[in-house]
Amino acid sequence: MKILLALFALLMPAAVQAAGSVSLVSEVFVERTETSADGRSVTTRAEPDMVVPGDSLVFVLSYRNDGAEPATDLVLTNPVPDSVSFSGTDDASAAVSVDGGKSWGALGSLTVAGVDGASRPAEAADVTHIRWSLSQPVPQGGAGQLSFRGLVK
Amino acid sequence: MGIQMFRLDQSRRSPVGVVQFALFVVTAAAPFSVAHAAGTLAGTDITNTATATFSGPDGNPQSVDSNAVTLRVGELLDVSVASTDTGDVGVTPGATNRVLKFAVTNGGNGPEAFVLTADGNAGGDDFNPTVTSIILDTNGNGAYDAGIDTVYSAGSNDPLLQPDTSLAVFILSSIPAGATDTQRGQVGLLAAATTGTGTPGTSFAGQGEGGGDAVVGATGAESNDDGVYRVNRASVALGKTASVAGPFGGTSTVPGAIVTYTLTATVSGTGTVNNVAVADPIPAGTTYRPGSLTLEGSTLSDAADGDAGRFTGSGIAVTLGSVGAGTSRTVTFQVEID
Repeated sequence: MKILLALFALLMPAAVQAAGSVSLVSEVFVERTETSADGRSVTTRAEPDMVVPGDSLVFVLSYRNDGAEPATDLVLTNPVPDSVSFSGTDDASAAVSVDGGKSWGALGSLTVAGVDGASRPAEAADVTHIRWSLSQPVPQGGAGQLSFRGLVK
Repeated sequence: MGIQMFRLDQSRRSPVGVVQFALFVVTAAAPFSVAHAAGTLAGTDITNTATATFSGPDGNPQSVDSNAVTLRVGELLDVSVASTDTGDVGVTPGATNRVLKFAVTNGGNGPEAFVLTADGNAGGDDFNPTVTSIILDTNGNGAYDAGIDTVYSAGSNDPLLQPDTSLAVFILSSIPAGATDTQRGQVGLLAAATTGTGTPGTSFAGQGEGGGDAVVGATGAESNDDGVYRVNRASVALGKTASVAGPFGGTSTVPGAIVTYTLTATVSGTGTVNNVAVADPIPAGTTYRPGSLTLEGSTLSDAADGDAGRFTGSGIAVTLGSVGAGTSRTVTFQVEID
């Protein structure tokens, strides 16, 4: 494998270098709320390797420009995984898609075909993709985090 | 989910400033639909990968994928037991192999076997049915078929149920001979996940379907419901009265007086008494008056024919058939004193 990677590096040095200038890390946390002995509910967040249906997940994307130059037109796209029902984002600038990434917009502006064939307003559970488009270039060393939530179906 | 890449659509870019990085603000859980009532099947992997596109110094679009985060869906242990009889099951004292019907449903998201326990000694009822067997509805027709459906034996044929599927289970019991009308006897059926039970959230590491953990769900991974037997016992009481009409008026029992006997069969309790028949010999010293036999006010012929009554030569006999509790039948006949 190392030989193969080296070969790619020789063939496409520019692409590899450029792609490496922005790093993107995905993390998924699960939030579980338990009621403590004194009746208060306590929410814990963990990074599990196992979840069960109904678990509340928080998807966190962390990006960083590791290159020597600003990165412009940065767009981060996260398809909502199978078996996860999108339940929202705190970020009003995010655009979502309910048709597999063909069209985008605020959730309230989108419609989907209902069971009777007539279109109905899209709901959070219809979301297939979420996307953030950064209007400002990310300077060298610039970084940020974006998140959205989902439920394990 | 495979990695998908999207080209930037310039016309849709937001004109506003840099996005905000607010994290972990609680949002209300949105309503969501699931194809499976029990949710994603145990052992399923959830993989998340994001993609970033941007323009480098040379203006050429670049793309980079994030790491892939994979979560395995563990097995949720949930079960429900429900009595499926439409009401109390009517029984008679001393009856055997009386059937109670239940449905056991795997509400979890993985295949799970369940241990079944029947308890006829619960309180809150009038008698304790003796449970003789638990039967699995092997042929799946929802009805108990003696000799066809399988007798359950704990630990040897604990039923394995796929997620979201139900199995009909029958409990056969004997009813105490001393039970009396309207008494009720409960039998509970308990189903418990073989992987384990406990308070919701209890985890059994590595014991879930597909090698993940098994986690006790909201039901505690066990469930119980009661079926009820109710004794329906009907009994017959026969009453007899006589009225005398003398040949010259009055009620003296002198020769030539006509005596009218009224026989009333009354059924009390619950249910129906079958094959009720009334027979009464003609008293010595009297003679049956032909054509005097009535049932519920209607005359019956004396011959042994299609109607319910006859004169046998020495007495009357009337067949009443099935008589429901709370009703009565009245038979009359007349004799003349010799």
